[in-house]
Formats: sequence, C-alpha cells, structure tokens
Amino acid sequence: MTSLRSRLGLGLLSSLILMLGLLWLITGASVRSLMEEQLASRLAHDGESLLGGLNISADGQAVLDAQRIQGIYSQPFSGHYFLVAVEDHVIRSRSLWDETLQLPQLGVGDTRLSYITGPQQQPLLLWSSAFRKQGRVVGLAVAEDLRALRAGTRRMQLRLLGWSLAVVLLLLLIQRYIVVRTLRPVAACAHDVERLEQGEIHELGEQVPNEVLPLVHAINLLLQRQRQRLQRSREALGNLAHSIKAPLTLLQQLARDKVAADDQVACQQLERYSRQISGLIDQSLRRARLAGDSLGASHFQLQRDLPVLVDTLNRLHRDKAVHFQQQLNNVTTLPLEQQDGMELLGNLLDNAWKWSRSQVHLTIRADAGLEIVVEDDGPGVDETLLQSLMQRGVRQDEAAPGHGIGLSIVKSLVQELNGSISFSRSPALGGLRVEARLGSLAAAGARQL
Amino acid sequence: MRLLLAEDDAELATRLKRFLDREGYAVDHFDNGVDAEFYGSETPYDTIVLDLGLPQRAGLEVLCNWRRAGLKTPVLILTARDTWQEKVEGLQAGADDYLTKPFHEQELLARVQALIRRKTGSVGPTLSAAGWVLDQETQSVSRGQQRWQLTGTEFRLLRYFMLYPGHILSKSRLTEHVYEQDADKDSNVIEVYVNRLRQKLGSDVIQTRRGQGYVFGDGA
Repeated sequence: MTSLRSRLGLGLLSSLILMLGLLWLITGASVRSLMEEQLASRLAHDGESLLGGLNISADGQAVLDAQRIQGIYSQPFSGHYFLVAVEDHVIRSRSLWDETLQLPQLGVGDTRLSYITGPQQQPLLLWSSAFRKQGRVVGLAVAEDLRALRAGTRRMQLRLLGWSLAVVLLLLLIQRYIVVRTLRPVAACAHDVERLEQGEIHELGEQVPNEVLPLVHAINLLLQRQRQRLQRSREALGNLAHSIKAPLTLLQQLARDKVAADDQVACQQLERYSRQISGLIDQSLRRARLAGDSLGASHFQLQRDLPVLVDTLNRLHRDKAVHFQQQLNNVTTLPLEQQDGMELLGNLLDNAWKWSRSQVHLTIRADAGLEIVVEDDGPGVDETLLQSLMQRGVRQDEAAPGHGIGLSIVKSLVQELNGSISFSRSPALGGLRVEARLGSLAAAGARQL
Repeated sequence: MRLLLAEDDAELATRLKRFLDREGYAVDHFDNGVDAEFYGSETPYDTIVLDLGLPQRAGLEVLCNWRRAGLKTPVLILTARDTWQEKVEGLQAGADDYLTKPFHEQELLARVQALIRRKTGSVGPTLSAAGWVLDQETQSVSRGQQRWQLTGTEFRLLRYFMLYPGHILSKSRLTEHVYEQDADKDSNVIEVYVNRLRQKLGSDVIQTRRGQGYVFGDGA
C-alpha cells in the first residue's frame, strides 16, 4: 500500500535537494568567479604600479624602483610573483627564487588572464600585459597563488551546504506536520471503517477533506442501500411466511380433523407432508434472513441485547423458574449482525430453557475465534440422536419433535454463519452442552485495518 | 370467557373461532388492526389472540397502543413471523405469550388457558370454588361423587362465576364475558341460564343481590 505521507515526503525531499543543489553549485561558481575577478583587478593594479616604478635607461637597462615593490614579492615562494621583460632584459620578483614565469606572446596594449602552474606546483592566476614605455616594449606578468582563495570558497560552500541541509530537514519536519494535520480527518475515517467492521457504527463520519468526501458519500450510500435491501428482503420474507403459514396451519389441522378421520393413513400422510413442507420453508426462510458478514450492520451487543433476550425467554417460559448464569469473559460484542446474533442465541438458549430443570449456563469466550457454550441441567439427549446430530445433522423436517428440532435449527444456523458446533453432556450441570464456534467471522471482526 | 381473535386469514379465523367456541370461549373475530385495537380497548376481554401481520394496522403497533393506554388483558401473539428478533419485539411490547404458525389447535388452547389461569391466579385444568369442581376439558361440574354435564352456555357462565367466587357479578358484566359481540344481548338470557344452573346444581349455588347482580359460592 502506498502511503500518502511518505509519497509527499519523498516528493518534497527530491525537489528540495534538486533546488538547493543547483543553488549551491551556482552560488559556488559565482562566488569563485567574483573573487577571481577581484583578484585579477588587484593583479592589474599591482602590474600598473610596477610599470610606474620601471625606469629604462638609454642603453636599454631596466631598473625597478624598490619602493614600489611590496614585501610579499620578496619572500621566496610567497605565492605572489611578478616578471618584467624589457626586450631581452628580464626582472623577476625575489619570491620566484630561481623559477620563472612563462610570459605569453602579447601585442602591445593586450592583456590576458590565464591559469598556470607556478613554482612548487602552485596553481596561479596570471595577469599579463604588454606596454610601450620609453620607446621600448615591456612585457609584464603578475601572478598570485589561488589556493587560499579556493580554500575560502570551499569553506563558504561547505557552510552553505550545512545550512541547506538544515533547511531541508526543517522543511521536511514542517511538511510532515502539515501532512499529518491534513490527513487527520482521513485517519479518523480509517478509524471509522474499523468501527464499521466491528458493527459499532452504521456509516462513516463525513468530516473529511473535500477530496475524500465523494468517496465517503459513495460508501455511506452503499451501506445504506445494503441495509435497506436487507430490511426489505427480511420484510418480504416475513410477508411470505405470513401468507404461506396460514394455509399450512389449515392443512395440518385438516389432516387432524375428526371429519377426515375416515382415511387414517391418508390423514397421517397429509400431516407428515405438510410438516415437511413447513420445516423446509422454515429452514429456507431462516437461511435467507441471515445477514451474514455484512459491513455497516449493527452487531449483537451483549450488554444491550442479551438482557432483553433473557427477559423474553423468562416471559415465554413463565411457568418455569430458570436460574440463568452468564460468563462473558469481557466479550462485549458478537461478531454477528444483531438479528443473526438474536437468532443464534435465541435458539441456543430457548432450547436450554425448554429442557432445563432449573439451570442454564451461558459462557462466551473469544480466544482464537468466538466460542459460545450453552449448558442446561435437563435430561440431555440420548446417544443415538447425539451421534446423528454430530455426524450429519438432522434435517428439520425429519427430526423427531423435542430436542432434535431445536438442535438441528441451531446446527444449520451455525453452519450458515461459517461456524462449527458440537454437542456433548455437560460435566457441570449434567444436561446438554452445546458448543458453537464462530472462527472466520470472529477473525473478520477482529481484523485490524 | 370472552376472547378477541385478530386474524386476517378468513378461513383460519373461522376454524379457530369454531374451535374456541366449542371449548367454551365467546370469540369476537376482527380481520384488521384498526377494529381489533378499538374493540380490544372498549370491551373487557379475558384474553386476546393477536396476529402480527394484520392489514390496516400492524399487530405490534396495536399491542403497543393497548399497553400504552394501560390495557392489562393477556395477549397471545399468534403469527407466522418466527424470528427471535420478532419474538423479542413482541414480548417486549407487552405480549404474554408467542405462538408461531403452523400450530396445533390444542397447543393454542393450552396457551390461552395458561394465560387465563395466570390472570385469575388459579392452577390446573380444573377450577375449584366453594366445594364445586369444574372440569374444563369435559365441561362438567362435580361436587363430592356427583357429576353434572353442562351445556356450552351453562359451562361458560359457571366458569366465570367460579373464577370470581364471592364477587358480586352484574348481569351486564356476565353478558360481556360470556357472549361474543354479535350475540343476542338480552340480559334476560343470563337470568334464564342462572335459573337453569340453579335447577341443575341447587337453588343456593347462586344468590341474587337485588339491583346489584349475582354471587356464586357465598354461603349466606
């Protein structure tokens, strides 16, 4: 997954490096050329001063006025050199010691700047010019070591580099702050998606930047449509059940009627078939009503929904005083849509309520997956039914009345919800123990974004 | 016992009415939510059997309205809607029991009897009061070793008397609880049946309180 933050950071970093690098190069070159220009003008100045102090006698002997020569030209290899050539006669600065400077061939009045390697491999900037003085051609060359100047420029460039890096760092930090601030609503949106998956909210918050808003709108619209579709289909199924079950009731009652008792066998068959039809319809409707793992659906909240369910069970079995004990182990939400959860726990608990003598225990654990254990202190289920339930399940329409129907409903429900179920004898209460595990759904619910 | 049956399937309703009638209940049938709500709050029924999928006004809404208005009559929801969500909603809205279709008529009867027993505080399928024992299944009454078979109306009337022994019951109250809506409500009919019961069981079994009504099982 590409992160907007790192993408923006990388973009800013590369553009800053490009810009500051170019700036650094241009600044360095400009400073160097500026300083060399200054140096050249100083060399020219020194040259003119030398020319002023030059005296040429009538026989062509050239003499330099020592007053005009700065001390630095007298120290050997000081980096400051000059050379004056009057025709064949050459005067060199003392600093040259026994080295010499190559004077380029110049016409009178020409001036040239060149880079040469001087004594002791010193890089020199050489200013040279040719004059006519007292009727003779005078060649003049003044040179200065560039190393000090270059070292100064390099120091300046290094300082500039340091400052540039500091600015890059600062800008990156500022940008990171801005990005984090800007993306905060998007992070909130991601958190909303997480809560949506947990079933805590029905839709995403719309306090997001304009760029993301259309997406959030679209998601919310989808969620709303999905909820409406589920509700509509549940209503339609309810209506179907309503319209189909009245005639079914009549059919069953007709089969039991004393009037029709002339043909006992036909009556029994009629009743059996209608019971089968009824069972099949129930099973299909139940399956069709399940929402499954749908996003944005409200989940079964144990704090909110379980007490209501238990109260309902107590009302339905009013003539029975059932002591209900629950152990929820800090599980607050079932990773099931609310009505799916109601259906599952309702069937599980109703079965236990029906067959218990006086006690029903509910244990919910969330370890690897979700585990729901319901135990009662009733007579339990005989071994043959237990075996057939475990192996293949009993089809609702063929199950014997009693524990069988309830358990086969529970089994098919759990299977529809991608879970597994097992039946055994409760060690604690002596009755039936039903253990439902919802692995994949619980994992989906706990999935992190 | 007067019973309101709100059921929109005409055939099923007719069958149920006939069945409950046979079992000694005066049944008023309504096939829509609006009528059921109105008559349910206007008439002192002993129990109500309510379908949820009623036209004009949904059963659940009718039930909520009754309970909001303070109606205490026991209500049995009889519906094809069998999800736990709907059961929870029904019971939380104030229903006393919930039976899903398809159902056995005997199951319905047992639930209705249980609701009435719970309401009146009596237990078992027999009613005992002032030394008389009424068997609701055979619709007969006994005292000691002697047993009398009762006609439908006699049974209904005596059952109501025996549910409220020692109470003064006016003719109009007896009419309301023994007859269905469209029956001939001449209060003289009550007089006729009270006299029949007296002839069968002895003249002192039901006392007349002039201007007030009748009292069952009051030794005086």
